[in-house]
Amino acid sequence: MLHRVTIHELVIAIVVVLILVLLLTITVLSYSFYKYRILYRRQAWVQTSEQKVMEAIVRGEDGASLDETFLMQLREPSFRNVFLGVLVASDRKFSGVARNEVNNLFKIYKMEDAAWQKLQQKKSYLIAGGILELAVMRVEDAIPDIISLLDHPKRQVYQEAQYAIVGFKGFDGLDFLNTLVVPLSDWQQLRLLRSVAKLPDAYEKWMKNWLISPNESVIIFTLRLIRKFQLLPFYNDVVNLLDHASVTVSVQAIRTLAALENVDTVYQLIAIFATQPHESQIEILRTLKKSRSPQSEPFLQEQLWYNPAISVKIAAAEALIALGQHSYLKNIAATEIVPLEIKQVIKHALQEKV
Amino acid sequence: MLILIAEDDELILRTIEHKLLKEGYQIILTRNGKDAIEKIKELNVDLVVTDIMMPFASGIEILAAIRSFQKELPVIVLSSLGQEEVVADAFDLGAADFMVKPFSPNELVLRIKRLTNK
Repeated sequence: MLHRVTIHELVIAIVVVLILVLLLTITVLSYSFYKYRILYRRQAWVQTSEQKVMEAIVRGEDGASLDETFLMQLREPSFRNVFLGVLVASDRKFSGVARNEVNNLFKIYKMEDAAWQKLQQKKSYLIAGGILELAVMRVEDAIPDIISLLDHPKRQVYQEAQYAIVGFKGFDGLDFLNTLVVPLSDWQQLRLLRSVAKLPDAYEKWMKNWLISPNESVIIFTLRLIRKFQLLPFYNDVVNLLDHASVTVSVQAIRTLAALENVDTVYQLIAIFATQPHESQIEILRTLKKSRSPQSEPFLQEQLWYNPAISVKIAAAEALIALGQHSYLKNIAATEIVPLEIKQVIKHALQEKV
Repeated sequence: MLILIAEDDELILRTIEHKLLKEGYQIILTRNGKDAIEKIKELNVDLVVTDIMMPFASGIEILAAIRSFQKELPVIVLSSLGQEEVVADAFDLGAADFMVKPFSPNELVLRIKRLTNK
């Protein structure tokens, strides 16, 4: 039997729905207001913290005295975190005396304790944050604790520990590469490279081992180190890597040879060209373009005419342009019996509309 | 002597401002490239310090704009690591000097003094 809805029940249902909508609206508005207040407060905290840093830098030693009011503000944990973040960011913006002033603020307001506490947290982003703060503020007492985190199961933590150790010890901190099995990303490699300012006496032995590492990214990182420090004694080791099974390694080896270029480099690159995979061939042609060696002219012309790959023809034509062969190429492009494909390649290289 | 600083990082901007005020310079602050170009056209600026990465117009665009109407105005470019190619462009456009971040504000002041003969 069907139950008929009375007017009274309908009114109650509408009222209930309206109350629910009202409650939902109030909740959403309260939450938005709460978020806005957090955001507003955070913005104000950032400004206060930056003002403190700026004063310390501008006033020098006078600016480093303890400000009791500021110290009271720092009792609020969220504010401490914001201030710590501003100090870390400032350290990346300034060098010299200004950087020392930032470090001084870290010490006089005992921010070290807050950073140490993060190392004891369970969340990996907090531990990584603590490592970053201790490393940027050069708290050397933290080195043993950070070394123990190199084997942490979470990637974010062990990567931050790697950066920190290299930041503290420079090249010597790279010994984790001896046993590294996971790949180093390009970004990681760049961060590590930035932290290595000089090489110790025993660098050659270490780096020769890394060049034969089963971890491809370790080899690539070592090649980048060779380029950064222009390490000419590694020239032959780099030549040996041209035949590496990984195309990425051989491409990086070609780039490294270009950086270490000597009178034989162009001939060596031309000699191995035919046996290389496509990516490496293109890299060789780019290197020849940069080196602008007249000895490569006949080889480049040969590639332009006879290599079946269009991208190789284009790269060869571009290298010829870099060698100042504009009129040679324009003459070919203007000759009627030359195949259309070659004319198009030349026009493309000369950046003309076909 | 009037110096225009174009920088979108508030802390760097305020720090340079205070350092230069202490040295007796007059300062104009701009937080984006478009503003910087307008102010340089309006005012008789003696030197410009500009960051490379800026909203609306980059430091290179500021430099190019300056060179279109002011051949001699000294410009110091602040760059970040890894911007070597841009720095080369800046020198081609006649930048007087450049500094890589992280940089020392004291050193910047010295370079400004050298360029303004102060």
